[in-house]
Amino acid sequence: MNALEVENITKSFGDFYAVKNLSFKIPEGTIYSLLGPNGAGKTTTIRMVMNIIIPDDGQIKILDQKMDEGMKSRIGYLPEERGLYPRMKVGEQLLFLAEQKGLHGQDARKRIDNWLERFDLTDWKFKKTEELSRGMQQKIQFITTVIHQPDLIILDEPFSGLDPVNTKLLKDIMLEMKRQGNTIIFSTHRMEQVEMISDNICLINKAEKVLEGNLNWIKQQYGKNTIVLDYVGDASFIKDIPEIEKTDDYGKFMEIKLKEQTDPQDLLKRLVDKIRVNKFEVREPSLNAIFIDKVGEKNAQDTVSH
Amino acid sequence: MRKILSVIKREYIQIVRTKGFIIGTILGPVLMAAFIVVPILVQFVSVDQQEKIGVVDLTSEIFPELDNKLDQKLKDGSRRYLLEEYKPETNVEEQLEELNKKVLDKQLTAYIFIPEDISEGGEAEYVSEHVSDFDKQGNINRALSSIVIEKRLSGEGLDPEKIGQYMRPVSLTTKKVTKRGVEKDTGGTFIISWFLVFILYMTVIFYGQIILRGVIEEKSSRVVEIVLSSLRPFQLMAGKILGIAAVGFTQYAIWGVFGIAATRYSKSIITRFFPAASAFDMPTIPSYIFIYFVVFFILGYFLYGTIYAGIGSMVNNEKEAQQLVMPVTMFLVVPILLMMFVIKSPNSSLSVILSLIPFFAPILMLLRICVLLPPFTQIAASILLLILTTVLMIWISAKIYRVGILMYGKRPSLGEIVKWMRYG
Repeated sequence: MNALEVENITKSFGDFYAVKNLSFKIPEGTIYSLLGPNGAGKTTTIRMVMNIIIPDDGQIKILDQKMDEGMKSRIGYLPEERGLYPRMKVGEQLLFLAEQKGLHGQDARKRIDNWLERFDLTDWKFKKTEELSRGMQQKIQFITTVIHQPDLIILDEPFSGLDPVNTKLLKDIMLEMKRQGNTIIFSTHRMEQVEMISDNICLINKAEKVLEGNLNWIKQQYGKNTIVLDYVGDASFIKDIPEIEKTDDYGKFMEIKLKEQTDPQDLLKRLVDKIRVNKFEVREPSLNAIFIDKVGEKNAQDTVSH
Repeated sequence: MRKILSVIKREYIQIVRTKGFIIGTILGPVLMAAFIVVPILVQFVSVDQQEKIGVVDLTSEIFPELDNKLDQKLKDGSRRYLLEEYKPETNVEEQLEELNKKVLDKQLTAYIFIPEDISEGGEAEYVSEHVSDFDKQGNINRALSSIVIEKRLSGEGLDPEKIGQYMRPVSLTTKKVTKRGVEKDTGGTFIISWFLVFILYMTVIFYGQIILRGVIEEKSSRVVEIVLSSLRPFQLMAGKILGIAAVGFTQYAIWGVFGIAATRYSKSIITRFFPAASAFDMPTIPSYIFIYFVVFFILGYFLYGTIYAGIGSMVNNEKEAQQLVMPVTMFLVVPILLMMFVIKSPNSSLSVILSLIPFFAPILMLLRICVLLPPFTQIAASILLLILTTVLMIWISAKIYRVGILMYGKRPSLGEIVKWMRYG
């Protein structure tokens, strides 16, 4: 069974298409990431899945049913623009939002206490939300997303603004949810996280789908003509080597795409005389490279600069 | 339904706990008490000072009688007006100039100049620094008039005893006729009408602003999208408006208890300290006025509350909101400006038409009900129109709210708002 099926959805605001003919399927129990530069239509897509925005055309099926209000309590949703009631106490806030997901009384209270303990926030239960740091508020928001044990968890840019400690915490919980059989869909433009935890991806650009499928399969399609180089020295000469199609230089680290039918061995021979090679790895392209390749240099720079 | 209840509960608890609500609720009865007690106190307390008034009597006949007649007493039994005669001097103008100085030096509160020809129609003069104490001027005027008239009559050869009878003043009592009979009215109707209408006006604006601020807070803190992942925008809007309505009812209930206690016991309390106040009649308010008051508060609240909610969803912050709220608030201010007109002629066709306009009806129809109960068909018509308009406003606001609550950035133009309303 698919946790989510999106079929040919379209949404326009006036003359502007936010999402155009988008289709994808998410198998149950997987982690799915929705990628794309800013303004590509990720958030609009997610809002349509959440029934907050109604699509002009197309169909959305969640857990084999048509989306309706009743389904909302089987879904956990963390919006991109997230906030909390600033003047409510943390405990009351969680209780209110849990009640909105159909939890009540003792059960709701117990779950709130458990989560607060897990996130080390028990001492803050009776504090006003506005007194919490941004990181703490993000944890509260995450609790509201998962407190009702939803079958489908939708996270819009969940990692943005998180410090490394909280990023790890969130990643661990996402994997734990997956092990419990839940399905997670999240949007991002930070490729490292996608590569580490996603099963499937969908790349959207300018309202339309560019690429979709299993992450490993996609990488294999791109072939093993990428070299990751870890070096010391002046490597500026590399980009002028005729057998090289493209380079992405980070100063100590470089991702190199070779032209078809080029032997990596030849390249290595040329390098060792001029620079110190610490690592030379032949592999599939990184998702970052695929992203830039598909979306285009200019567009991708806009994204990366964020 | 359970979700809406949870929203209502949240709104209710969050507001009832605020300092603003607690202070407002306590201050309400205090103001109410002040409203009832102060006029009574002013009437009986403020004139607690003896006043020295000079008299220049060119007839030299009037002063003794005036001294006799102006015998108003202070609370402690001493005379309120202490008259002091200044024998006319040869140069009267110089003498009056002298007295002017005494008034300015506060040796005298005032002086009275009585010309020789007063009985033949000459004008007496009252000279003081403050000439707006109508109570005192009235007393002096009445005393002088009756003395002069008595003199004229006795000049015609009438029996001084008979004159006393002839001079007895006519007393005029104001009575109000209603369906239930004739009642004595001591100006209480006016005070109560003004008071009830003012409470309605204040509370509708006050709670409208709370709705407005609540919607803006939800929107600007971005919590709204989390909430909307659980319930429909309309449910959230309805829950908010109902929750704040519950706050309003709580406040009214508290005020009601204070109000009943105040009207029932305030007189006996005041009379204990100021026995003279027993002359003041506490106005009685028929219960149907309270029923209509609650009906029109509910309708007015929902009409304006939904509009405020719609506006809140359109804007990004309170500053932007105030610009849009201004014209709406004007609809509440206009009837306040028209109050005096409606009180004076509650049944004129203009008053009838104004009180049927839904945006004015909560204030003006209630006012007409207080002043002079209009035919029931008119009340029913205004209530019906008000309900229809409110339903229409709920429909429009809900459509705007649904889109606006998730829109950030530039404030929408009218064209954009119309477009929002057409979104699926």
